[in-house]
Amino acid sequence: MSAAAMIELTVDGKKISVPAGTSVFDAARLNKIEIPTLCHQQNEKPVGVCRVCVVDVGARVFTASCVRPVEPGMVVTTNSEKVKQARSTLVELLMADHPSPCARERQSGDCELEALAKQNGRLASRYTPPDTRRGVDQSSMSIGVDFDACILCDRCIRGCSEVRRNFVLGRMGKGTTTRIAFDNDQPMGESSCVSCGECMVSCPTGALTNKIVNQTQIAAPGAEPVALEHLRELPFFENVSGTFLSLNRNAVVKRHFKRGEVICREGEYGSTAFYILDGQARVSIASPIAHVKTKGAVKRFLGKLSSRLTQRQNDEREEETSQNWIHIDAPVDLNYENPVAILKAGDLFGEMTCMSLYPRSATVRAETDCTMLEMLRNVLDIMQRNKNFRAQLDLSYRQRALESHLRAVPVFAELTDEFIESLRDKVELLRFTPGQAICRQGEPADSFYLVRIGFVKVSQTHPGGEMVLAYLSRGEYFGETGLLKGDVRTATCSALDHVEVVRISADDFAKMSAEFPQVRQKLEATEQERAKMNRNRLSMVSSTPLDSFLKQGLMEAQSLLLLDLDSCTRCDACVRACADAHDGVTRLVREGLRFDHYLVATSCRQCLDPLCMVGCPVGSIRRRNSLEVIIEDWCIGCGLCADNCPYGNINMHPFNVFADLPGAAGKKVAMVKQKATSCDLCSDFAEPSCVFACPHDAAHRVDPRHFFAGLLQKASDSIPKE
Amino acid sequence: MIFWVTLLTLRVHLRIDGTHRKWLVASLIILGVSTIIYVIYAASSPGGPSGGSATGLAFGVVGSAFMIFAGLLAGRKKVAVWRLGRAQTWMRGHLWLGTLSLPIIVFHAGFHLGGTLTAVLMILLIIVVASGIFGAALQHYMPSMMTVQIPMETVFEQIDHVRAQLVGEADAIVEKACGPLALENAALANVAGASNTPAALIPLRDFYAQQMRPFLLHKHLRDKPLGTREKALGIFERLRTLLPDTAHEPTRSLEAICEEERQLRRQTLMHHFLHGWLMLHVPLSLALLLLACIHAFMALRY
Repeated sequence: MSAAAMIELTVDGKKISVPAGTSVFDAARLNKIEIPTLCHQQNEKPVGVCRVCVVDVGARVFTASCVRPVEPGMVVTTNSEKVKQARSTLVELLMADHPSPCARERQSGDCELEALAKQNGRLASRYTPPDTRRGVDQSSMSIGVDFDACILCDRCIRGCSEVRRNFVLGRMGKGTTTRIAFDNDQPMGESSCVSCGECMVSCPTGALTNKIVNQTQIAAPGAEPVALEHLRELPFFENVSGTFLSLNRNAVVKRHFKRGEVICREGEYGSTAFYILDGQARVSIASPIAHVKTKGAVKRFLGKLSSRLTQRQNDEREEETSQNWIHIDAPVDLNYENPVAILKAGDLFGEMTCMSLYPRSATVRAETDCTMLEMLRNVLDIMQRNKNFRAQLDLSYRQRALESHLRAVPVFAELTDEFIESLRDKVELLRFTPGQAICRQGEPADSFYLVRIGFVKVSQTHPGGEMVLAYLSRGEYFGETGLLKGDVRTATCSALDHVEVVRISADDFAKMSAEFPQVRQKLEATEQERAKMNRNRLSMVSSTPLDSFLKQGLMEAQSLLLLDLDSCTRCDACVRACADAHDGVTRLVREGLRFDHYLVATSCRQCLDPLCMVGCPVGSIRRRNSLEVIIEDWCIGCGLCADNCPYGNINMHPFNVFADLPGAAGKKVAMVKQKATSCDLCSDFAEPSCVFACPHDAAHRVDPRHFFAGLLQKASDSIPKE
Repeated sequence: MIFWVTLLTLRVHLRIDGTHRKWLVASLIILGVSTIIYVIYAASSPGGPSGGSATGLAFGVVGSAFMIFAGLLAGRKKVAVWRLGRAQTWMRGHLWLGTLSLPIIVFHAGFHLGGTLTAVLMILLIIVVASGIFGAALQHYMPSMMTVQIPMETVFEQIDHVRAQLVGEADAIVEKACGPLALENAALANVAGASNTPAALIPLRDFYAQQMRPFLLHKHLRDKPLGTREKALGIFERLRTLLPDTAHEPTRSLEAICEEERQLRRQTLMHHFLHGWLMLHVPLSLALLLLACIHAFMALRY
């Protein structure tokens, strides 16, 4: 370095020499003189916004040392009383609206602002904080945002743009409402953020913190921690901040499975996803592919109903689906006749279990010796947001799953291979976070969507509020109504949990409709059915004016078991009769909501808003057009629908079956498997057993809208007319 | 006869629906016809009416048949789902034919008690019918009383479980407001061991420790002030005046828990009333049927 390029100056009485262009801050630091700062980091361009690094250079005002280049003969004072006082005031001003202790201080005790405030004795600020609060954003799986703790130092913005070149973060707002923003002020989880963690690592306060996942460590037998350097070698952790990865590294382990070993079992609850590094895995459904058929016995005289497992070819139920593919939480679908498939290296499975804590949808066994990464949701989120990994997943989906996914939808069964091939590069895979709108009522219809992962809520806005029309799970589709009519969206579709959809553009949809008139006809028929169902439901809503009737969900019901509490002696004959009729498993509990002097006993109401359907990992519970619930043959007996039913009206019926012995591939043993059942109204008999067995004429099966018509009318009449 | 008239009077006061009306009419007709037959038969018998005569035996057979039919209800309940006619029909038959059996048997006995066995039989029959009428009246009136008085009613078998949950909820409410309670004390009589309770909330903690928790834990403490709604209202009103505004919400929650506890106690009591009479009615009915069989055998044999 030439002497001409060196500049001499004095810092705190010490003569030093540094290259021209060096900032005063760096000059001091190079000579072991520490100047406190908040907004400045060595790997980012200095911006001088926090002013905490002020020094006295003999000018009229103090200067921010991080942005002030050295000058020949400059005399710098970094720690005079006046400088310290100015710095202390700045810190106190920043502390005025800082939520102390902030998340970072609570988490790791290293909030830089609070540390400085402690040093200066200014932890409790004398200044009044502004009235406006900027709020929090917890939409990201791995990073929590507390805008109130943000000091607008821009370290995160520079980390995102300069260090990682992602350009997601910026500033939004004015004055006291100024805050950092993701994309065009989207919630972080819904933005294009790739979860590299650079912003979180850069943040000096608790504004951006690593989210602590409840289960921070995977405790699986044989789980092998993955060294940070090995994690960073994986392509999908490229460009992820090392510190961020290090904070999350307990949430991912490497696991080795011997051939035949069970990796996860259907129906079990879990919180992890698996990524196959090498080897192959066999995914299958061990539960019998059959539904519960309850029939009368001994010429129906004894009133005994026997329940047994029956396949759909032997017992075709009304509106039973004819689909041949069972959708599971993996990049493949299983065939109804032979529900087995192979997963290969590079495949990810268990996403829904990991992100939304649903039960496992299938049993996965090592087909060969294999190695997998098992991860918690924060790591999965980081992976899924990684551009390389997204590209790999997209490619894998287009190559392997798109065809089966389309063909699994009966409407599209007739599409030719050529057409699917033409769609392969055109479809888009889109992800949505819980609550995020996929399309809104009234917007122009520009796409058709197929649900790949998660549950979509379809709702319409009416003057009285929102009405839920349907919950769509994997394999179902939406958006056809607006496209077929060339009109606007007739409903709002939003993600109920972590949803992934396949988007087909309006142009491709139009092409498909033109080329395959039979597909269009089927879609039109579906659209008409859905419209009719929605009209029926709307008419029901408008004809039930009683608040409590609605609040109790009675309007939701197609058929209710009512107990007249003025006649019921609480003898439980109805419950015993139900159990007697159904192999000892009662589908009725004499408890529930009350309306007037009636008890709405816990028995399936065939709700209009069937929450039981939300979360079924294999989509085996659905609704007929008559709005009655039907449980398809591939129910895996996880019991989630029974848990979800707000009225406790779904029961799990145990059956003795032959199934694979745990841990021993191919060896079958007798074991108990469960199937979900709900009240079947003892349909083999003229009257349900519970009603038949009530000695006091207290039990009644009724259509609530007819049964309560008089009461509702009376209540309606009592409301003063305007 | 007075008994029968009482029964009729009681029945008139019951809300008799269409199905009951048919049974009532049929019963009255049977009773009327039987009475006419009996009067003619008694007037025409020089030695007075006797159970051993043809008419007397006929009354005995009909009366016994009614008793047996009434007794079969218990068996019918065991096979509730067998399609043997609706349980409701069986219950109607049980009520009306069972009641009718008494005057018919009285006609059979010719208004005499007879020997020891027949006297015991008659007394048993009267007790069984009386207890049945008492039970029917209870089952008629008490359900609507329960509906009104116990809006928080639960399944009877679940009451202990719900009560345990109430104690847990109450503990949680007080702990949230006053800080941890020293629940490790096995006696639980004094949970006021917590030292970090704010001074303003000490009355709440003490009230809970000394009055409410023992009330919730010991279901037999019926005479406690919290066992009465009116007294409890006063207690909670006074407590609120001792507490800051912030403690009013938890106090209201505790008040609601006490109300639920009282309702569960009342449900237990009413449930025992509602079904307790069966403890007398059922065994005596069985004894009656058994002795009636012995009487029939003895009478026909000897």
